[in-house]
Amino acid sequence: MSTFIKDFIQRETISRRNFLFASAAGLTTAAVPGVFGRGAAMADSGGWALAWSYRDRASAYWNAIVSGGEAYVESLGLSRDDMTNLINEGSSEKSLADIKAFLAKNSGKGAIACDPNDSPNARPVVEAVREAGGYISTIWNKTDDLHPWDIGDNYVAHISWSGEAPSEQAARILFDKMGGEGGVVHLGGIPANIPAIERLNGLKNALKDYPNIELLDAQPADWDTTKAAELMASYLTRYGDKIKGVHCANDNMAYGVIEALKAEGITGMPITAFDGNPEAVDLVMKGELLATVFTNPHWGGGIALALAHQAAIGAFKPSEEPKEHREFYGPSILVTPADAEAFKKSYLDSTPKYDWNDRWGLSAGGIVYR
Amino acid sequence: MSQLLDRDRLIRWAPLLVLVGLVILFALVNPAFLSQRNFARIAIAAAPALMVAIGVTFIIIMGSIDLSMEGTVGLTAVLFCFIFLATGGTLATGGWLAIPAILLVGALIGLVNGLIHVRLRIPSFMASLALGFVGTGAAVLLTGGNIVKIEDDTFRALLTWRIAGFPLMVYVVAVLTLLASFIQSYTTLGRNFYAVGGGEELAHASGLNVRRVRILGFVLAGVFYAVAGILQVAKLGQAESVSGANFMFISITSVVVGGVALWGGIGGVWNTVVGVLIVNVINNGMVVIGLPDYLQDGMLGLLVIVAVVLSTDRRSVSFVK
Repeated sequence: MSTFIKDFIQRETISRRNFLFASAAGLTTAAVPGVFGRGAAMADSGGWALAWSYRDRASAYWNAIVSGGEAYVESLGLSRDDMTNLINEGSSEKSLADIKAFLAKNSGKGAIACDPNDSPNARPVVEAVREAGGYISTIWNKTDDLHPWDIGDNYVAHISWSGEAPSEQAARILFDKMGGEGGVVHLGGIPANIPAIERLNGLKNALKDYPNIELLDAQPADWDTTKAAELMASYLTRYGDKIKGVHCANDNMAYGVIEALKAEGITGMPITAFDGNPEAVDLVMKGELLATVFTNPHWGGGIALALAHQAAIGAFKPSEEPKEHREFYGPSILVTPADAEAFKKSYLDSTPKYDWNDRWGLSAGGIVYR
Repeated sequence: MSQLLDRDRLIRWAPLLVLVGLVILFALVNPAFLSQRNFARIAIAAAPALMVAIGVTFIIIMGSIDLSMEGTVGLTAVLFCFIFLATGGTLATGGWLAIPAILLVGALIGLVNGLIHVRLRIPSFMASLALGFVGTGAAVLLTGGNIVKIEDDTFRALLTWRIAGFPLMVYVVAVLTLLASFIQSYTTLGRNFYAVGGGEELAHASGLNVRRVRILGFVLAGVFYAVAGILQVAKLGQAESVSGANFMFISITSVVVGGVALWGGIGGVWNTVVGVLIVNVINNGMVVIGLPDYLQDGMLGLLVIVAVVLSTDRRSVSFVK
């Protein structure tokens, strides 16, 4: 490059660079304060700060979890803003770092409910909480060898939802609708994701009783609507008219399947889903979806936080509870066209009020390992 | 000389040869792959992705990168639904207003993206990635994590109304691709993208307003992302904050597989068209031939590397970063 061009460019850049440094310094100072919510009104919570650590606000499911946590906080006479939201954006590292920071800020007096994002992350999270003297309940993700009773009272409880039995029920409804014969395809969640495995297992269990039903294919569409639409289109090319029913591992993928079929002008294909989101329940009522499974995330979100907090203030002592109170399944409700309207009225149009002191009232039993 | 010419020509046509090779391969294993209905399925899957990929092609030709597509598609899809529903909920009663409005929103997002990149001198990689997050965040804020549905049959005709076996949206995309090709080859702006990508310092010293070209490039990309947002709604009948998910990987991969060089100045819209088709043919074909799902991701990665090796002229660059 000629020196003329070089000098010309350099002249232009220098003043700009100084400006950049100055503005960068300004930005960092502006971003520091106010990361965590206020710590006021702790008197009502017995001096304990409350937090929910979860993935993001981009789905109806996590919003329902958070609404449960907020309902518990409000039941204490606090404002919903007194619950701190620790959003990990799908990062296990951020999940752990957020929880450590939250505990440090509150000198260890933190009651936390948490989905550790992936199973291996549960151990470092609960150990960090124990060291700081806080209390935690986890949902969904933990390894099979990690148990609350091995960690101590600080790890209050773990809640999961069995995907197997409800998914099997949904599959049976699907097979009956298909008249007990024909091909079925399954669209699954992210491979190696525990709920994805369980929901496929549920389908396979049901298949044993229906010898004339053939499972044509089962592939992951990563819980995603767009991917599900594309996978369903590819299934149609491969299997064509052989497909007589579709079993989806969650609602979002079922939406994609319905649209892929609509593009082909196919109507009346029986489809089952999982999660019981409001849109899916509407589709059940309209007859576009055969069934979905509701796991009551509002209750799950509330009770997970309630357990951690009530153990913290000494309302009960975790180590005195039986094991099925430390590791248990949350409830699941099958929503079919027959009961969709009643279900919508009682669970979606208005949120039921729960007694958060009835800690295990909706439990579906202790977690079973295979 | 003639040897060099042959090599050049081979490299130029390599992506298309890869595409034809893949089609033959999949068709041999399962003849159903070759059916017209399956081509329509691939076209539907490729339509929004192609719009995103064409948008980012202009940026990559300039030697920059734009990673804001997921946020922009998500936000424009959500806003499109809101405006569509607010103006009557059907195309006929005023919902069509949402289309120009959203194209404008896309242009605005692109403008902000370009201004941040050029005025604050933040690398386009970082500026656009950050703006993409802002877009997704805004979409979450607007929807509260919920899904917005559009049930107007007239609008959904983009998916359901077929001409010669292909849905309407495929023709819309074809027309816009021709438009993009026109912008690239017959407008000053299009030629300037190549000038910037081929040698920014030279272009600058020759009196070209490089900053203006860059900003306009991002505006143009933003408009194409907005089109993708609308088509995504047409395809799925709904929008949510994650409607733009996966577009970053698919579009950048397609652009590179099609033979557009990441260092700028090489390739164009038609390379991108072939690239998008390659990626979508692979995705569709792997299921159609019954490849086990645990092999599919690995196979996609391998085929992408093979396609890039065949379709880019790496001899002309001294450094690869």
